[in-house]
Amino acid sequence: MSDAVLQVRELVKHYPVRRGLLRRSVAAVKAVDGVSLTLERGRTLGLVGESGSGKSTLARVLVGIETPTSGQVLVDGEDVSTLSRAGRKQLRRDVQMVFQDPYTSLNPRMSVGEIVGEPFAIHGIDPAGGRRAAVGELLELVGLDPDHTSRYPHQFSGGQRQRIGIARALALRPKVLVCDEPVSALDVSVQGQVINLLEDLQEELGLSYLFVAHDLGVVRHIAHDVAVMYLGRIVEQGPEQPVYDTARHPYTQALLSAVPVPDPAVRATAGAAAQPGGLVLEGDPPSPVDPPSGCPFHTRCWLAPTLPEARSDAPGSRPVPTVCATETPALVPHGDAATHVAACHFARELAAPGVES
Amino acid sequence: MSAASRMRSAAEGEGRGTRHSPGAERSEGEPKAQPLLEVTDLVVEFRTSDGVVRAVDGLSYRVEAGRTLAIVGESGSGKSVSSLAVMGLLPPTARVTRGSAQLAGTDLLALRPRQHRAYRGERVAMVFQDALAALNPVHTVGYQLTEALRARRGLSRADARTRAIELLDLVKVPNAKARVKEYPHQFSGGMRQRVMIASALAMDPEVLIADEPTTALDVTVQAQVLHLLAEIQAERRMGLVLITHDLGVVAGVADDVTVMYAGSAVEQAPVGPIYAAPAHPYTRALLRSIPSTAGADRGTRRRLPVIPGRPPSPAARPSGCPFHPRCDVAQDLCRTAVPPLTSPAPARLSACHFAADVLANRPPRAAERRDDRPQAAETPTTPPFDEQVPGGDHE
Repeated sequence: MSDAVLQVRELVKHYPVRRGLLRRSVAAVKAVDGVSLTLERGRTLGLVGESGSGKSTLARVLVGIETPTSGQVLVDGEDVSTLSRAGRKQLRRDVQMVFQDPYTSLNPRMSVGEIVGEPFAIHGIDPAGGRRAAVGELLELVGLDPDHTSRYPHQFSGGQRQRIGIARALALRPKVLVCDEPVSALDVSVQGQVINLLEDLQEELGLSYLFVAHDLGVVRHIAHDVAVMYLGRIVEQGPEQPVYDTARHPYTQALLSAVPVPDPAVRATAGAAAQPGGLVLEGDPPSPVDPPSGCPFHTRCWLAPTLPEARSDAPGSRPVPTVCATETPALVPHGDAATHVAACHFARELAAPGVES
Repeated sequence: MSAASRMRSAAEGEGRGTRHSPGAERSEGEPKAQPLLEVTDLVVEFRTSDGVVRAVDGLSYRVEAGRTLAIVGESGSGKSVSSLAVMGLLPPTARVTRGSAQLAGTDLLALRPRQHRAYRGERVAMVFQDALAALNPVHTVGYQLTEALRARRGLSRADARTRAIELLDLVKVPNAKARVKEYPHQFSGGMRQRVMIASALAMDPEVLIADEPTTALDVTVQAQVLHLLAEIQAERRMGLVLITHDLGVVAGVADDVTVMYAGSAVEQAPVGPIYAAPAHPYTRALLRSIPSTAGADRGTRRRLPVIPGRPPSPAARPSGCPFHPRCDVAQDLCRTAVPPLTSPAPARLSACHFAADVLANRPPRAAERRDDRPQAAETPTTPPFDEQVPGGDHE
């Protein structure tokens, strides 16, 4: 029944770090380091992770803003990298992007009509009924007044600007929308409106979304499937329900427990401020230039030091099981569903309910 | 002039505050604490091309030692502007046209800019949202941490360095000794925000105002920074004002909450009661509109409850209750009359004509109330608003 509209296979995006007079490449920022994903038609795949996890880079590769170092991107089964320039342009129509910041992603010197109509101009398309009418329809589709085509972005609020960005992305009737943090710049009360609009549009137009966000609540609401990224890799993936309710990767669990819960009673029972689940990760994510050996998460993992297998190599160093520091865990099924996969050597230790710190 | 305000009796300040601040009406059991900072009836106006615009319109709140007050609101609600006014950091186009901010017997708002400097940092300090923009990129972190100490307390370079290391240790920046010599760009976002907090603490202020201190951070780092703030605040019995839009953060760290909308406080209460039973329709709607990680909306893909429309521009506020065009229970009265802050229950304040009804989670009884009909007649079997209880959304 798999009907994949977008597939990513072993995608890698490295940025060279250049030093010295000859600008020789001395290292690489491993922004995306071997990611495979499948987006099914008409569904939403949520992509979560901290800043620097590579989720935005992945999004930019998918819409063609960045070219991958290696790996494949397949749109409707066709490999984008094997196509000619013209073929890529054609294919790019099918995958459009909604950007995070509605203030900088709209050209302040273009009217709304020009912004939303620009994709037609770029691709040399004359929609039936003319561009003007098409722009009006698009604005109406996203809940804006079609008579406002001659206004400029500064005359709109943040939520309205994000609607303009969505209208522009929809102009070429794409199959896939890649949404990079589309609501994180918006006020809470407006956020919900844009989320509801995206859900309505999905139903109406049969769109598929890759929804990149750091807000785990928003992702749970909108996504059917979720992928969790850490240092350029996917560490857990699966349908939304098992990933949230029975997370099998210690990083996912830590992320979920760090989300502030809008209920003061949770604090009262947890006893400590701002850490409802009790799992507070230490430090910041390591540099993607020099990711840790073995499991990339082992330097911050809260589970590893608690395991009986844990031992420290040097005095004073953090004890972790040897396997975590030496072998990169593969994404394998751990939950009840075969589609729920996690990359942790000790995922089974997390299967028991109530494993919290 | 400052002498005059210093002389202003505490009783007077107290008397003016009680009408508005929730602390004053806290239940009998708790001792009434003397507020560290008490803002009363603050009005801030901006000169704009559209004329004079009121960004803050009659805001009152109080901050007590060892307690955290969260000021919650959307963009344009006036939450940041009100803090800048207290700090004496308003842009030149803005003016405080009314109100006072009492700090230990002094009205900060009546001070001339030069006098205000003696309080800023020393007694009230501020942490800004964007640490990268707030720190100077061409000076080391150590230099910036102690700039004020050297200028005001005359610390020597060696002493300043020692103090800077102490401050970084205090905010748990690892390897403080080496890091004082580094520049802001060498710090991660979370570490930079710790530096901001350390520099705000340098002069040992009684009140710390933190404006969206964790908004730019990842959730995992946010949890660390919030934890640190709570710890430091408890240790020093500092009064903390936390300005945020995130109701999850508020629930995690605040003792008292002030919800702002269109320049004024619409609801003020201790944190527990406000989440359990909001007394203003705006608070209630905000709480309902947060998508939860607990999966309340799983399966059915239920639409997220939203507040229609958007926050009004300060230049064009609606008549009557500023929230009425977006309110789900607005009545005719709301279109014409501005609701005052009233107390529908002990320790609760709400600027809603129907605060008692909202608090009890029943539909407003506008007609009855105005006709002044007897109680018995006004309780027809209206369906209970069960689905509107924020807790009811998470079965």
